[in-house]
Amino acid sequence: MERMAVNKKVRQFFFPSFTPQFLIRVSVIALFAYLFFGHIFTPLLIQGHSMEPTYRDGSVNFCLKWRYLFSKPKRHEVVTVRFAGSKVMLLKRVIALEGERVEFRHGKLFVDKKEMDEPYVRYPCSWNLPPRQVEKDCVYVVGDNRSMPIENHVFGQASMKRIVGVLLW
Amino acid sequence: MRFKNIIIGALVVVIGIGVTIYFFPSEEKKIKKQFRLLAEWVSKDPGENTFTMAYKVKNISTLFDGTCEFKIPVYSFSGSYTPEEISGYAARGRLFCSQLYLKFYDLVIVFPEKGVAKVTLTAKLTGKSNVGEYIDETHELEFVLKKIEKRWLFSKFEVVEVLKK
Repeated sequence: MERMAVNKKVRQFFFPSFTPQFLIRVSVIALFAYLFFGHIFTPLLIQGHSMEPTYRDGSVNFCLKWRYLFSKPKRHEVVTVRFAGSKVMLLKRVIALEGERVEFRHGKLFVDKKEMDEPYVRYPCSWNLPPRQVEKDCVYVVGDNRSMPIENHVFGQASMKRIVGVLLW
Repeated sequence: MRFKNIIIGALVVVIGIGVTIYFFPSEEKKIKKQFRLLAEWVSKDPGENTFTMAYKVKNISTLFDGTCEFKIPVYSFSGSYTPEEISGYAARGRLFCSQLYLKFYDLVIVFPEKGVAKVTLTAKLTGKSNVGEYIDETHELEFVLKKIEKRWLFSKFEVVEVLKK
């Protein structure tokens, strides 16, 4: 008798009755999952090597959107930069803020003529970039992996409107 | 019984909407189809045979207007090209690659005036060159399409600069 009741419960769990309550429950869970994973914590798959060794190619993370709704990105934060939408985004590190002058001399980063300490850059770098000022409502972003020639690395000034959020870890 | 009728009614409505959308596609759907075809014909699988290559390259030209304006500030490249010239460039580009895949994401379509559509999207080009180098390029693009003889044709193409060095 007891075994039959357990069987019934198991069957009900895997094949629930098609009742209005069941449909409501499923709809609420689906809506919550859509809002949570679609607009708050978006799962993302990292492709490429520009943020190595901090973020490896093929690793999975979450993008915390809305992070910059009431604040601005800080230096050294890793942010996601959108293209036309947020299905494909760039993952970069903020190295300079609006109004600051940024330059590279023999692989060393200088912001407002002051050399910056960058513990996250582990690979040798020999970049040279003449000084340039970051425009209003923009930040300057670069990847952590600067072992490739400067022409082959996607980096530069991004409008604040393009910053989607930060990574969860 | 009543609940069952509601479910059946809802299913009939959903199927009806699906059939209508399928047989009477909206302008947006027609434009998306042009992008799907462009991606399909630019893409190249490893070991692609000559017939497939000729078919794809020939068809690329059918997607473009009489003269299409190109603007690629990243590579300081701009100009107007005929559909034949465009398919010629595409053919030469494909020859350098053993495999090539073009995908479009996040299409935003607006109609600034009748018979004109402006599309913003993200394009991702991946593949491998004949010498084994990996290709991985992502850009935000802006297209202008014009409706000519009931067909949406590409008439302007521009690469948007997302990060300014």
